Amino acid sequence: MTDYLFDVLVILGVAVMTLGVIGMMRMPDLYMRLHAASKAVFLGVMVLAISATVLHQGSVTARTILLCLILLVTTPVAAHAIGRAGFLLHERMTSPGAVDESGSHLANEAPTWRL
Amino acid sequence: MREIVYYTAMAWMVGLLCLCIVQAVRTKSTLSRILALDTLTLVLVALMVLYSTTTGKGYYIDAAIMLALLSFVSTVAAARYHSERRIF
Repeated sequence: MTDYLFDVLVILGVAVMTLGVIGMMRMPDLYMRLHAASKAVFLGVMVLAISATVLHQGSVTARTILLCLILLVTTPVAAHAIGRAGFLLHERMTSPGAVDESGSHLANEAPTWRL
Repeated sequence: MREIVYYTAMAWMVGLLCLCIVQAVRTKSTLSRILALDTLTLVLVALMVLYSTTTGKGYYIDAAIMLALLSFVSTVAAARYHSERRIF
C-alpha cells in the first residue's frame, strides 16, 4: 500500500512539474509565464516532498518539512520580485484579451467592459 | 515497480532541466531568462529530493535547502538590479 502511494505521489509531482515547465515555455507573455512557472512547478516540488514523508525515514522527513517551509516562504517573494521588475520596466502584455488594471496601459487594447 | 518509477522520473526531470536550459538560452527578455533559471533550480531541488528519498541518504536535502535559498537570493537580487539598478 505504501509503495503504491509513494509511486502515485512521485508520478503526480512529476506530471505537475511537466505542466509548469511546458507553460513556462509556451506562454506568450512574462506575466503568464510567471503564473505557470511560479505556481505549478512549486506545487510539483511540494508533492514530491510530501512523497518523502510516506516512507517513514526519520531524517529525510524532518529535512523535507524544513525544505517545504523554506520553499513556501521564498517562492512567492521571488515571483513577486520578478513581476514587479516587469511592471517597472513596462513589459507588454501580448496575450489576446489581456487587461491591465493598473492604468499604465501595458495591455494592447483597452478593455471592452467596465466595472 | 519502484525502480521503474524512480528511473523514469529521474530521466523525465533531467529532460525538464534541458527544457529549462533551452528556454533560458532562446528567450529574448532578461526577466524571462531570470524566471527560467529560477525554475531550473526548482527542478534541480526536486531531483535531489527524489534521489534522497529513494536512497535514504538524508543529507542530500541539506544541499537542496541551500540551493533553494541561494536561488531565492539570486533571483530577487537579479530582478531588482535589472529593474531599478540597485539591490537594496
